[in-house]
Amino acid sequence: MISARKLAVAVAALAVTAGLAGCGETEQVIVYEQGKYQGKPDTRPWENEPGASLYTTSKWAKGDKSSWESALRSRSQNQNEYVRIGD
Amino acid sequence: MLLTRKSASAPSAQTRLSRGLAGMLAKTIDRRSFLKRSGVAVGASASLATLAGPFNMIGRAEAASDKSAGGKVEIKRTVCTHCSVGCAIDAVVQNGVWVRHEPVFDSPLNLGAHCAKGAAVREHGVTENSHRLKYPMKLENGKYKRISWDQAINEVGDKLLAIRKESGPDASYWIGSSKHNNEQTYLMCKFVRLFGTNNTDHQARICHSTTVAGVANTWGYGAMTNSYNDMQNAKAIWFMGSNAAEAHPVSMLHVLHAKEAGAKIIVADPRFTRTAAKADHFVRIRSGTDIPVIFGVLYHVFKNGWEDKQYIHDRVYGMEKVKDEVMKWTPERVQEVCGVSEADCYKIAETMAKNRPSSIVWCMGQTQHTIGNAMVRAFCIFQLALGNIGKMGGGANIFRGHDNVQGATDIGPNPDSLPGYYGIIPGAFAHWAKVWNVDLEWLKKQYAAGMMNKPGITVSRWIDGVTEKNELIDQDPNLRAVVFWGHAPNSQTRGKEMVEAMKKLDLLVVIDPYPSATAAMAAMIRKDGVYLLPAATQFETSGSVTASNRSLQWREKVIEPLFEAKPDQTIMYLFAKKFGFADQLVGKKDGKQNIQVVKDEPVIEDITREFNRGTWTIGYTGQSPERLKLHMKHMNTFDVKTLRAKGGPCDGDYFGLPWPCYGTPEMKHPGSPNLYMTERHVMDGGGNFRANFGVEKDGINLLAEDGSHSKGAELTTGYPEFDHVLLKKLGWWDDLTEAEKTAAEGKNWKTDLSGGIQRVVMKVHGCHPFGNAKARAVVWNFPDAIPLHREPLYSPRPDMVDKYPTHDDKKAFWRLPTLFKSVQEKNKNISKEFPLIMTSGRLTEFEGGGEETRSNPWLAELQQDMFVEINPKSANDRGIREGEYVWVKTPTGAQLKVKAMVTERVGADTVFLPFHFSGWWMGKDMLDYYPDGAAPIVRGEAVNTATTYGYDAVTMMQETKTTLCQIEKFQG
Amino acid sequence: MARMKFLCDAERCIECNGCVTACKQENEVPWGVNRRRVVTLNDGVPGEKSISVACMHCSDAPCMAVCPVDVFYRTEEGVVLHDKDMCIGCGYCFYACPFGAPQFPQAGAFGMRGKMDKCTFCAGGPEKDNSKEEFAKYGSNRLAQGKLPACAEMCATKALLGGDGDVIADIFRDRALKRGKGAEVWGWSTAYGKPDKAQQPAPKGGKS
Ligand code: SF4
Ligand code: SF4
Ligand code: SF4
Repeated sequence: MISARKLAVAVAALAVTAGLAGCGETEQVIVYEQGKYQGKPDTRPWENEPGASLYTTSKWAKGDKSSWESALRSRSQNQNEYVRIGD
Repeated sequence: MLLTRKSASAPSAQTRLSRGLAGMLAKTIDRRSFLKRSGVAVGASASLATLAGPFNMIGRAEAASDKSAGGKVEIKRTVCTHCSVGCAIDAVVQNGVWVRHEPVFDSPLNLGAHCAKGAAVREHGVTENSHRLKYPMKLENGKYKRISWDQAINEVGDKLLAIRKESGPDASYWIGSSKHNNEQTYLMCKFVRLFGTNNTDHQARICHSTTVAGVANTWGYGAMTNSYNDMQNAKAIWFMGSNAAEAHPVSMLHVLHAKEAGAKIIVADPRFTRTAAKADHFVRIRSGTDIPVIFGVLYHVFKNGWEDKQYIHDRVYGMEKVKDEVMKWTPERVQEVCGVSEADCYKIAETMAKNRPSSIVWCMGQTQHTIGNAMVRAFCIFQLALGNIGKMGGGANIFRGHDNVQGATDIGPNPDSLPGYYGIIPGAFAHWAKVWNVDLEWLKKQYAAGMMNKPGITVSRWIDGVTEKNELIDQDPNLRAVVFWGHAPNSQTRGKEMVEAMKKLDLLVVIDPYPSATAAMAAMIRKDGVYLLPAATQFETSGSVTASNRSLQWREKVIEPLFEAKPDQTIMYLFAKKFGFADQLVGKKDGKQNIQVVKDEPVIEDITREFNRGTWTIGYTGQSPERLKLHMKHMNTFDVKTLRAKGGPCDGDYFGLPWPCYGTPEMKHPGSPNLYMTERHVMDGGGNFRANFGVEKDGINLLAEDGSHSKGAELTTGYPEFDHVLLKKLGWWDDLTEAEKTAAEGKNWKTDLSGGIQRVVMKVHGCHPFGNAKARAVVWNFPDAIPLHREPLYSPRPDMVDKYPTHDDKKAFWRLPTLFKSVQEKNKNISKEFPLIMTSGRLTEFEGGGEETRSNPWLAELQQDMFVEINPKSANDRGIREGEYVWVKTPTGAQLKVKAMVTERVGADTVFLPFHFSGWWMGKDMLDYYPDGAAPIVRGEAVNTATTYGYDAVTMMQETKTTLCQIEKFQG
Repeated sequence: MARMKFLCDAERCIECNGCVTACKQENEVPWGVNRRRVVTLNDGVPGEKSISVACMHCSDAPCMAVCPVDVFYRTEEGVVLHDKDMCIGCGYCFYACPFGAPQFPQAGAFGMRGKMDKCTFCAGGPEKDNSKEEFAKYGSNRLAQGKLPACAEMCATKALLGGDGDVIADIFRDRALKRGKGAEVWGWSTAYGKPDKAQQPAPKGGKS
C-alpha cells in the first residue's frame, strides 16, 4: 500500500491544482497509523472476531487480513448474478 | 427545516454532477431534483434530526448495535409486502426488536435485490415516531378518540347486527385486502359468507379483474403464465401499459439480464416511462387505443405470414375470424386512431416474430379501461398467433400489483366466487361448506332470500350501492355499513362522489395498520359513526403469500404486533364470536375442528391446510405449510432461470410450488412455473389449454387437435375435463384406492376431496385433469367476442366516438345500473372544455393508496409532492412554469392543487398524475382530520378525487387511464 | 490487496432509489441527510440515464486535502473516513468533493451546520467497531462484519457494485463485453485515477 506520507503529498498536490489550498506542506495532513485514529481505536475489520457482531455470515481468521479479503471477495460475487444464473 | 439546508445544497451538487458527466448531455431536469427543491416540512422526523449529538441520530434501534450488549439475535425470513415480485428479506431481530435487514442472496426471485420500498421495510418495526394507527378509535364530535378493543368489537358488532336485522346482510359491504396473506384473505372470504352476503371485494377488482376474466376465458387460468425469472429466456419482450421499472423494479433485474443476453425490449405507452428509457424501441400511443395498436402490429404478422400456423391449427379456436377483424386495421387507420406509424407497427411485428420466444407484459395501462377485458384479450391473441403461449421465454407475463393480490384473487373475498374460482353456484357452496365443516342449510339461512347466488357489488361501485336510487339497485337495501379492511379509498375513482356516499352511511369501519385516507375523509364530513381498528402488518404475523408468478412463499413472524394492533385473523375471530359464528369460522362441528384457536388467534397453518383440502381447481392443494417452509429454507438450491431445485431436500420442485400444484401434498406435484407447456409431462409442471367451454362450438371442435398434448400423456388427442364418468369410461376407475373411490363417486376433478381423480389422471396416465382443449381467440360469452376498439367515455376525439362508440347502458350489472353510451353521448364534445387526456400511474417509492409508504420517512423524503407531468408545449400555452402550483380540473367539477412538472415524458395531448397521494382535498390539507400523530408524513391531492365515471363491461373495472382534464395556473 | 470502490452501471440503473433507502435504514440516517443519491440525466427523453452517487472514496481525496482540521483519514482497504468529534462543520469538503458527497445536518434551530456526514462505505468510523458509539455517529460497520455496503448489496438491478475494485471491475467488464457497449463508467477516473494508471484497473470493454 501507499505509505501515509506519500499519500499526503499526492493529496496536497491535487489540492494545489484544484486551487483550494495555497500550499503543499505535508503537515496539513496528519500522519495516520492504520488501525488507530488520533489515539482513538478504529480496529481494522479483519481484527474483529468473525461473528462478534450481528449476523455475520462471512468467515475469516481473526487478524488474518487475506482471509478476510477473500471472504469479502467471494461475498462480492452476490453482486454478480451471472455466477448464480450462468449465461 | 432541514430541507432548507438541503434545498440550498442539492442544486449545486447537481450542477457539478452534470458537469462531470462526459458524453451524457443533460437536457432536462430530473424528477428528484425537481421534487427535492420543492421541499416539504416533515414534522416529527425533522425536529428529531435536530437533537444534539454528532450525527443527530434518530436514536432508534438502541437495542441493537452490538451483540455483546446481550439479547437473543434471531433471523426471521420474510417477504416484502410492497409488490408482487416477492423479494425475500432476512430480518435480524434482537430482543424482539427488528434491528437489521439483510439481503437474501439465496432467493431465486430477487437474488438479494430490493427497490426503495423493499429496502425500507424495516421501518415497519420502528416504534418511535410511528405513524401507525396505535389503538382502536372512534369518531366523536368530529374528533377521533381512543377506545378499548372490547368497546370497539362490541359497538361495531352491535351496529352491524342491528343493520343486518333491519335491512338484511346485503346492507353491509366488506372491502378485503390484497395485502392480507393467503390465510387471512381466505378466512375473510369465508367470514363474509358466514355473515350472509356476497358484498365483498378487494384491490384485484381495480387492478387486474379484466385480465383475470379475459385471460381465463381465453385459455383457462387468469394469471401470469410464466414468471419474472423465465423472462430471462425471452429473445424479445414487449411492454404495453406496464412501467415495470417503477412498479415492479426488481423484475428489471431479470429483464435487463435478458437484454444483456441480446433480448430486444419494446415499450408502447402514452408516456416515455423509466421502462421506456431501458427499451430498444419506444412507441408513443394515444391512451386507450391499445387494441388498434396490437391489431395494427398483428396485421403485419399476418401479412408477412409470420404467424405459427401449426400451433394455431392445433391449439387455437377462432383465429380466422379474428384475422378478418385484424386485417381491417390497415396502417392508415391505426395512424388515424392511435397516432402510431406503419413503420413502428412493422418494427414491433418483426421484432416479436423474428426473435421467438417473445414475451409480452401488461399491467394497469391495459386493464383499467371500459374495454379492458377486450384489450387484454387482443394481447393474448397476439401471443397465440405467434405460438408464444406455453413456451419458455414466451407467455403472457401479467405483472400483478400488491404483494398478495394474486392470492387474494385466487382464494380471497371476491363478490362472484368462493375460493378457487368455484363461483357462487349452489354446487360451489356445497363443496366449500363440506370443506369448511359448516352446515350448508345453516349457511343458506344466513343469506337473504335469493341473494346467495347473485354476485355482489364491486369495490369500484360501492359508492353507488349507497347513493343509487333504491328501486334501481338489484338488492333490497342500499348499503348502510362499509368496512375497509385493508384497502385505500383513494384508489377508487370518483372521489368527489365518494365523500357523499360516506356521509350517507350509518357505519364506516377501518381495519388497517394505518388510519388511511378513509379516516381523514370521513372525519372531514362526519361527526360520528366511524371506527378505526389497528391491524397488524404482515411482519407481525405469519403465513403464505402468492407472488405474481404464482409461487407461494412463507413469511415468518418477525415481531409481535406493535402498539395495540391485532392480526387480521384474530380480529375476524373476535367479530365472528360477536356475530355468533365463531365455530363455523374455524370449522367446529360434530366433534371435529379444522382450525385450532390459540388466545383468540386462529392457527395460521391450520388455515393453510384447510384451503389445501378444498382448492382443487387451481392447485392450491399441494402447497402444505411444511413444503413451503422447506422451500424458504433451501432457496439456494433453486435454479434462477427455471426455478427448479437441483438436488437437496426440494429436489425437482419449482420454487414456491407455483400454482397449479395439483393433488395432495403427498402426491408431490412440483408446481407449474410456465402454464400450458406441452413440452413437459404434467407431473413435471407441464400442461395444455383448459377444456372449460365445452367440446365443440357451432360444430367446430374446441378440443386440441390430435397429436397436441402434454408430454407423455396417455391420451394423444384433445379430451374434456375429468369426472367419475369419464374415468369409468376409460377404465381408469380401478386405479383409485377403495377409499378414493368412495370419495370420488359422483364427483369431478374439482370436487373430489380425496384428490384421487387428480392422482390417477396425472400420475398414472400423464393427462391433465382439466382436459386438453384449444385456447379461444373468440370469447363468445363476452360483449365483444372479438376484441373491438371502443372510445373511452370521456374521449378527446368526438370524430372517433362516432366511429367507435362504446357499449349500450346496462341495467342490473353486478347489482347496479351501469352507464356507457349515455355518458359518452353527453360528454362527446367535452374535450373543448377539457382538452387534455388525464392518465395516472405509479411511482417507485410508494404503493397503492400510499398511506403506508408515505408514513415511512425513508421513502417519504424521496417524493414529497404530488405533481402533474405536463408537456412543455401545453405548459407554455397556459403560462405554467416548472414547480408552480396548478389546478387540475375535470368534468366532475373536482379540482386538484398540484405542482407542475414540465417534461417531455408525456406528449402535448396528455398529462400524468401519480395515484399514491392523499391527505389533501381540493386545495386543503386534511392533517386535522387524521387521528393525532397518525397522519402520513407526505400528503397531497389524490388523483382519484377528480376521476370520472366509466367501468368495464365485464368486470366493473374502473376507467382510470383515459379521462379528460384542463389545467390552469393556480391563483391565490 | 483490497481497495474498496464503487461503480454504477448506467445501463442497468433504473432510478428506483433502492440503494438510497438501503443506506437510510442500514445507517439510520436522518431526514435531509443523503449519503447516497440517484441522479438522472435527460429525464423523460430518449437517452435518459441514471446513476447512483455517494462518496467514491477517492484514491486522492480532495476533501482530505482541504479539511482545515484534518478530520479525514484513509483506511488500509481504501475507505475514506472522518472523525466527527473534530469536524467543525465548515463545509470546505463539500466544495472540494467532485461528487457532492459530504452532507451537513442542521445542528440547531438557527441553521448552524452540524458535523459533516457522508458515506462510510459501511465501515463505521473512529470508534470501537460495532459499538453503540460507532453506530450512533457513523452508522453500520458492515466491513467489520464481513459484509459489503448495504446499498450495493441491495441494488434492484445489481447496477451498483461495491467492493474490492478488482472484483467489481471484473464483474462489470464481463457484463460490458456481453452487451457490447456501455463500458464507460462515470466517475471512475475522477475518483480512482486514469484507467491506464498502474494499480488502478478500470473496466475495459467494448468502446471504452
Ligand atoms: S416492492 Fe416489489 S420489487 Fe420492491 S423490494 Fe418489494 S417485492 Fe421487491
Ligand atoms: S456504502 Fe453504506 S454508507 Fe455508503 S452509501 Fe452505501 S449504504 Fe450508505
Ligand atoms: S438500487 Fe440500483 S437500480 Fe436502483 S437506483 Fe440504486 S443503483 Fe439504481
